[in-house]
Amino acid sequence: MSVAAKPLSILDDGVARRPRRLGARGLLEVAGIYAALALVLVETLYPLLWVLFGSLKTKEEMLSNIWGPPSSLVLQNYADAWRIAGMGSRIVSSVLVTGSALIILVVVATPCAYALARLRFPGRGVVLAVAVAAMLVPPQVMAIPLFMVARDLGLINNRLGVAFVYAATSLPLSVFILRSFFVTLPADLEDAARVDGASRLEILIHIMLPLVRPGVALILIFGFIEIWNDFFLAFLLLRDPSVQTIPLGLVSFFQQYDSLWTLYFAALTITTLPVIVVFLAMQRQFIAGLTAGAVKG
Amino acid sequence: MTARSQEAAASGRSDPWRFLAGDGAVAFLMILPAAILFCLFYLWPFVNGFWLSLHNWDGFSDPTWAGLSNYQRLLHDRIFLGALRNNLIFVVAVVILKNVLGLGLALLLNRALVGRAFFRAAAFVPVTMSFVAVGLLWSWIYNPVFGLLNGALDLFGLGGLKQSWLGDADIALYSIIVVDVWKWLGFHAVIYLAGLQTIPSELYESAKMDGAGPLQRFRHVTVPMMMPIIFINTILGLSGAFVRNFDIVYVLTKGGPNHATEVVLTYMMSKAFQDGAMSYAAAIGYMLFLIVGLASVGLLALMRRQRLDV
Repeated sequence: MSVAAKPLSILDDGVARRPRRLGARGLLEVAGIYAALALVLVETLYPLLWVLFGSLKTKEEMLSNIWGPPSSLVLQNYADAWRIAGMGSRIVSSVLVTGSALIILVVVATPCAYALARLRFPGRGVVLAVAVAAMLVPPQVMAIPLFMVARDLGLINNRLGVAFVYAATSLPLSVFILRSFFVTLPADLEDAARVDGASRLEILIHIMLPLVRPGVALILIFGFIEIWNDFFLAFLLLRDPSVQTIPLGLVSFFQQYDSLWTLYFAALTITTLPVIVVFLAMQRQFIAGLTAGAVKG
Repeated sequence: MTARSQEAAASGRSDPWRFLAGDGAVAFLMILPAAILFCLFYLWPFVNGFWLSLHNWDGFSDPTWAGLSNYQRLLHDRIFLGALRNNLIFVVAVVILKNVLGLGLALLLNRALVGRAFFRAAAFVPVTMSFVAVGLLWSWIYNPVFGLLNGALDLFGLGGLKQSWLGDADIALYSIIVVDVWKWLGFHAVIYLAGLQTIPSELYESAKMDGAGPLQRFRHVTVPMMMPIIFINTILGLSGAFVRNFDIVYVLTKGGPNHATEVVLTYMMSKAFQDGAMSYAAAIGYMLFLIVGLASVGLLALMRRQRLDV
């Protein structure tokens, strides 16, 4: 728990150590550390660079020049991959499913977390216990009955319906995280507003919500990575190609055509690069979100 | 506020709607949407799945009562037992590798180095990628024709070690394990890093004064202080490895060759959607739930005992 208290310090802790003179042994040690890190860097980033390179090569060059950068940029690969893999409609589906799921999640989880944190009512302990217990039941193990329930409710191949399922699977952890943010807020604020005659809902929306924005951001980031990248539940519930999300589209594109290597690489770049760019732009929130969610979960 | 709710509780002792008194009504309304969503897509499937596993049902005709026969069949199903074995190998291997390598990487990244933020961000990039993207990427790395791995072995004169990484039944499972570790390493390293930064530097200073070398400082300061984080990482790795392997196995091998990489979830899905054995598949899901539950509870008990001992 102490970890979650300062998740923002993970990337740059700002405390640079005073430079000191290194002896021969110290130099060797630093060189060793850099060598190890260089190795990590190569095994992490080179495969990604390799995909980027491959996506810009001709098919012939792909086989003759395995390692290096492309000799010329074949941007046609991107246009072809976009068209053949039906990337446009996949992206629309992914945005629709992920966006609705996150909206539902925040709207549903926030009042629940607030009530659990700030209100005294009978049965509070039970609700909290159920939320904790649910975190121990991964949704994957009940995939088959979940499919049945979704089918009975007519939600198969329905993107909004699937968004509700995603919101439900993220619900227990999100309520738990948000509740821990509400708990830390001082009671005085709320009491003052109550004296002024504000209702609980007004207090939640106008006073508490702005204060727990970091918590909401956290469950949004956490949920975004989960839902945007998910293959399993989408595979289970979105059977019709016209409503399928990006991960499903990638897999079927890959399985449908035999050896359009350069196009696969282009398709993978199109779908992966934006997420990596978003990550690099907001890496601090990303990492804080994932670690805090993890540490609390 | 306390007085109010006490008063409400006292006055409404015989009233069946007393839970609506005071803050009760507001709380009820605030929890209601979450409760509906939860009951519909969590509780109902969970209960329904157990009911389903006690019947024989293809999903369309009338279900017939089967008692525990689905579970009995499971215990004699060689493919299921093989999948379970693969699943356990997968879990043990990735949990150990992610922890050892993750802590090692965190120790490297915790040093005062030029470009540290860059190294940290780079190590984290695979975590943001989907399992599908990671799986496709690695299916090309393992490709026998133009794959990076065999190419690299050639480059270093180790051509004799070239393999059909995903086609050979003896090594395919381990090839998949490497991919899973590759994807999650940065995540576990960052959690370790967060833990390392909570260790007060005075502890290291005083250990140094007592003449402890780097290895002794690691053993007597870092490891004991990091025990809670090691448990968190183990629990995360454990629960993830049991139930988050469908995507990666499906993309890389679909459980083949000849079930050599079959895990419980891939077998469950093929039973349900290729053989139409919905109730049998539901029983598989329940078995997995029991195993994950037992493993988590066991680990939590161990954690509690450790806390007491420390």
